[in-house]
Amino acid sequence: MTARYDPITFEIIQNSLQAAADEMFAALRHTAMSAIIYEVLDMGTGITDREGELAGSGAGIPAFVGVLDKTVKRVIEKYGPSNEIEPGDIFITNDPYTGGVTHLNDVILTMPVFYNGEIVAWTANIAHWNDVGGMVPGSMSTNATEIFQEGIILSAVKLFSRGQPIRSVFDILTSNCRMPDFLTGDLWAQVASVRVGERRVLEIVNKYGKDVFLQAVKDYLDYGEQVSLDAIRRLPKGVYELVEPQDNGPDYVVKIEITDNEFIIDLTGNPDQDKGPFNMSRDEAITACQIAFKGITSPERIANGGTFRPLKVLTRKGSVFDPIYPAAMGIYYEITIRLHDLIVRCLAEKIPELLPAGGFASVCGTLFGGIHPDTGRPYAVIEPELGGWGGSPTKDGNSGQFSALHGETYNCPAEVAEARYGVTVDYLSFHDEEGGAGYHRGGKGVRIDYRIRSDNAWLTVAYTRSKVLPWPLLGGEPGSPNHVIIERANGEKERYSVVSGLTLNTNDIIRVMTGTGAGWGNPLERPVEKVVEDVRNEYITPAIAEKSYGVIIDPETFEVLGFTNGRKQ
Amino acid sequence: MVRVATDIGGTFTDLVYVTKDGRVGTAKSHTTPDQFEQGVIDVINAAGLQPGEFESFVHGTTIVINAITERKGVKTGLITTQGFRDVLEIGRGDRPDFFNLDYQKPIPFVPRYLRKEIPERISYKGEIVKPVDLSVLPSILDHFRKNQVEAIAICLINSYANPVHEQQILEKIGELWPEVSVVASHQITREWREYERTNTTVLSAYVQPIAHQYLDRLTQRLKDAGMKCTPYIMQSNCGIDTVSATRQIPITMIESGPASGVWGAAALGRLIGEMNVIAIDIGGTTAKCGLITNGEVKLNTNYYVERTRTFSGYPVMVPVVDLVEIGNGGGSIAWVDQYKRLHVGPQSAGASPGPVAYGKGGTEPTTTDANLALGCINPHYFCGGTIQADMDGVQAALERLARKLDLTPHEAAQGIVRIANNNMVNAIKLISVNRGHDPRDFTLVAFGGGGGMHACALARELNIKKVVIPMLSAVFSAWGMLLSDLRRDTLLTQIVEFSADHAAERLNQTFKSLEKQALDAYLAEGFLPSQIRFLRYARCRYQNQEHSVEITIPSGEITSESLPTILETFHSDYEREYTYRLNAPVELVCFHLIAIAEVDKLKPQKVQPSGRKLEDAIKGQRKVDFIEEGIHLATIYAGELLEPGMKFSGPAVVEESGATIVIPPGLPCEIDDYGNYHILTAK
Repeated sequence: MTARYDPITFEIIQNSLQAAADEMFAALRHTAMSAIIYEVLDMGTGITDREGELAGSGAGIPAFVGVLDKTVKRVIEKYGPSNEIEPGDIFITNDPYTGGVTHLNDVILTMPVFYNGEIVAWTANIAHWNDVGGMVPGSMSTNATEIFQEGIILSAVKLFSRGQPIRSVFDILTSNCRMPDFLTGDLWAQVASVRVGERRVLEIVNKYGKDVFLQAVKDYLDYGEQVSLDAIRRLPKGVYELVEPQDNGPDYVVKIEITDNEFIIDLTGNPDQDKGPFNMSRDEAITACQIAFKGITSPERIANGGTFRPLKVLTRKGSVFDPIYPAAMGIYYEITIRLHDLIVRCLAEKIPELLPAGGFASVCGTLFGGIHPDTGRPYAVIEPELGGWGGSPTKDGNSGQFSALHGETYNCPAEVAEARYGVTVDYLSFHDEEGGAGYHRGGKGVRIDYRIRSDNAWLTVAYTRSKVLPWPLLGGEPGSPNHVIIERANGEKERYSVVSGLTLNTNDIIRVMTGTGAGWGNPLERPVEKVVEDVRNEYITPAIAEKSYGVIIDPETFEVLGFTNGRKQ
Repeated sequence: MVRVATDIGGTFTDLVYVTKDGRVGTAKSHTTPDQFEQGVIDVINAAGLQPGEFESFVHGTTIVINAITERKGVKTGLITTQGFRDVLEIGRGDRPDFFNLDYQKPIPFVPRYLRKEIPERISYKGEIVKPVDLSVLPSILDHFRKNQVEAIAICLINSYANPVHEQQILEKIGELWPEVSVVASHQITREWREYERTNTTVLSAYVQPIAHQYLDRLTQRLKDAGMKCTPYIMQSNCGIDTVSATRQIPITMIESGPASGVWGAAALGRLIGEMNVIAIDIGGTTAKCGLITNGEVKLNTNYYVERTRTFSGYPVMVPVVDLVEIGNGGGSIAWVDQYKRLHVGPQSAGASPGPVAYGKGGTEPTTTDANLALGCINPHYFCGGTIQADMDGVQAALERLARKLDLTPHEAAQGIVRIANNNMVNAIKLISVNRGHDPRDFTLVAFGGGGGMHACALARELNIKKVVIPMLSAVFSAWGMLLSDLRRDTLLTQIVEFSADHAAERLNQTFKSLEKQALDAYLAEGFLPSQIRFLRYARCRYQNQEHSVEITIPSGEITSESLPTILETFHSDYEREYTYRLNAPVELVCFHLIAIAEVDKLKPQKVQPSGRKLEDAIKGQRKVDFIEEGIHLATIYAGELLEPGMKFSGPAVVEESGATIVIPPGLPCEIDDYGNYHILTAK
């Protein structure tokens, strides 16, 4: 070899790390006991370098890519100085204030990889547990005011010491949770996963040697950084600011500075922390910024510690994005999507030629339950919803897709929902609410009608983007709001976006209506043939074609009859 | 008389034949994409065979997958339940390219204006909630006619539980528009999940007229040429089926080529006592891996067309052999990105211009070019001696690549093969470790033009102890077709709680009625009862969980006394698969019946040695770079002259007309009774 380290070996080591993270993911998914882990894929895996910089990740959703490195760094901070990290140790945390990042339901395990008495890497994974104790079943309550009400807190504690499980910790866990069997099953699945990662990393180190391995990881992080820096250099330099009102009152503020080699997101101007659980930890705020940064700069899959080196995030202690202990944060995810959308919007309004207009941008967390009318057993639905994304510089927005926090997340088919929950799905298609006209129009929002088939069912939802609509770009039109319509058996209708424990009875209908994305560009400039196709496909009505797009179309023959004054010909 | 199998691939159409006295022959000709049947006729001619002498003829074709991936199907309309018009476009809402703010979802094969709703409703229990209103059909069909629709797909909500409304619509369309091509979801599958079933029905309708025309032209041409036997078509479920059955549901052909390769590997494994096999088929453009445990091929009904790490793809809910496929074959192009990182594939040089060594205008080095440069492939016996490899061109191409990487051309060639091997190792990990299997427990059976070239390196990387390269490895997929019986899979989603009083009775009834349907269909086609046998399976799970395992259900009467045995099978299979068992109620979710009609298929014959000496098979020696093991002077053997019982060790290269087998230093190789190569890669 001409070079001391040959690039092909580096490439193979880097691919092998990725394969190891994927294998950790498969192992966890395969052996987990809870459907939310193995079916909804509310989980992620990762391998970091010895300092805790992410080197490979097997996440199924973007929201979990930037979490595990933060955990490892907190463990190193806590145990490193006192030399308490030993081979075979496994640490566990779910405390957002100590490396847990998200909320108490997300439990993270991490394990050091020792080679000849020296740490060469860490493996880690995260999984959503059904229940971690706290004031309500499922542990997430919109009424929590302190984190203590959201479940048992594990502040980066040892779960295994020198390869041996610490019984007391297991016992504390199982006696503080409503579903101890599932907890135990999921916990052991996570243990198996970090251990399989450790084995694979050691195989790589054994094969290529420690120095080559460490150098390959360093090279990989540098590569990640280089991809980001190149992308930043393509963005216009400057300071960009945005103030955006929120559905529930306060304004969120962001200031973004792009320099030759830095991307600084300043969140210090934001409101004081919420009294309830609508907060996010500073680590989670950084994660939200990372997702937005990656999507804006270089969405190609490579995402490692190097990727995020050019990103700086500033927060203010005591604000909603950096609350003071022991603020609650069970519903952090809706704040994450708000912050993500805020950052994208701030830049999109300045560089609309590079970025899409706003979409429905809410997790639209929907929880309902009751008694299955055919089996008599209780059922509970916990699901995010699909909605429309904004038009982009290149194309119309996607219709019926989960929010930007999701990735390999799948909706529940109507046929499965009917059998499993005993509700009837009367409707699952796009709705025809107005909104989203543009040169590239917004994707369609979705309407789902769940007909309840037994009395005393309940509904809880927490949607945002219900009053402040999806934002357009370059003369497009705003999208439509996220909301829920309850159509009672007697025909009366009620409208909600945030509601807790609403009672429903037989033949009441929950009508989930998610937003249509906003339009990108002036609809009057949309090519006539596309407007005709939209009318033919009933994405828009002839009335909208005329009003928003300036094209008068015969609704029967789809012939263009003329144009309004607004459209230049 | 002779048995013949032909397999249409992306680049070549392969043929394998076996004569009555056990003599095996092969032929290859170029695939003819405009008229695939021409390639079949060409390859029969190339083999010097007369269709009049065919005792049996099995055919595998890419016509269905090509029509889909090239968007060359017909204009299709969809009829669905009122309220569910957009299920096909919504899909499942996932976004695998999960940082991408500008992701493009799969665009549905039926645009919204051709998706029409019909008032009707069936409950999940199969009850009619709202009778189907057929009065809207004439106007829907008018709309389709006016828009030049050529095929209609019908998929209604909960039709898996009761297909009566779909049947009524089918019947009515038959009256109103008898010429149109039409298919309803229940004819393909009775599994739940409306998006997957709808998309499957749509894709089947989309290719149906094309598949009909192709199958009709092919059978006609073979008949005209004097063929008297009934042709069979290879299916994605590793079985074969008649042309008339395939015509009804052509989507089942979607992965027929790869299925026969994996099936061949399973059959070969059973023949030589290797029950756990990882099969890898390394062709010109792709490498495909499949897994065989206890002699059985794993099938899935969650197959996707065009699915990648960053794209959702299009689901096809028919039983397809479980495969991992990557764009990494002999023709895959090596390239360097802006960050000076070397990649191999997925772009392929294909047959034209092909690798640089073809001298047909290719300028970017491929895996094949790298293997030539390393001495693994003989430049003077390239493509069986039909092409003199353009080694100057190869050297120049490697130099250009090497310059971008600051490497020597030789290091670049090593790099290409190392990256290609690494890609394939990761594909094998996906099919094994990521599905809970340890590759060390398996034997690697490698075939396709590049199988023998890479197999030992892959095995050593994965700590696999043994490699088997089948005889005729270059056309092994076609050989696999000769070993198949007719096979029809029926899947029916129906939830049965094992604790319910009537559980045994329901299992009995359902299996018996599925068996009767399958039997009646076979008998109507002229098969004899003695040819037919059934295999019963059931997908079961713990109540309300989604993880399920498919367990074997014994044939014969199921009684309440036999239920505990079935349950214990479930608990232990589940525990083996997912590592734990629960003390929770168990339910059956999906019935799976396999109906097999045995045909007089090929029984592989042992090869009689002529008594030739090993030395007689030696062609010479040359320097070969084995990369990991360094450069060695390797003995070159003529594969055609090797015989059962012969043993030798690496460093060696075996040259066959369509394949090269590379055996690293020190590894022992032995030819078994059937002419297969067994190489021990570890103790």
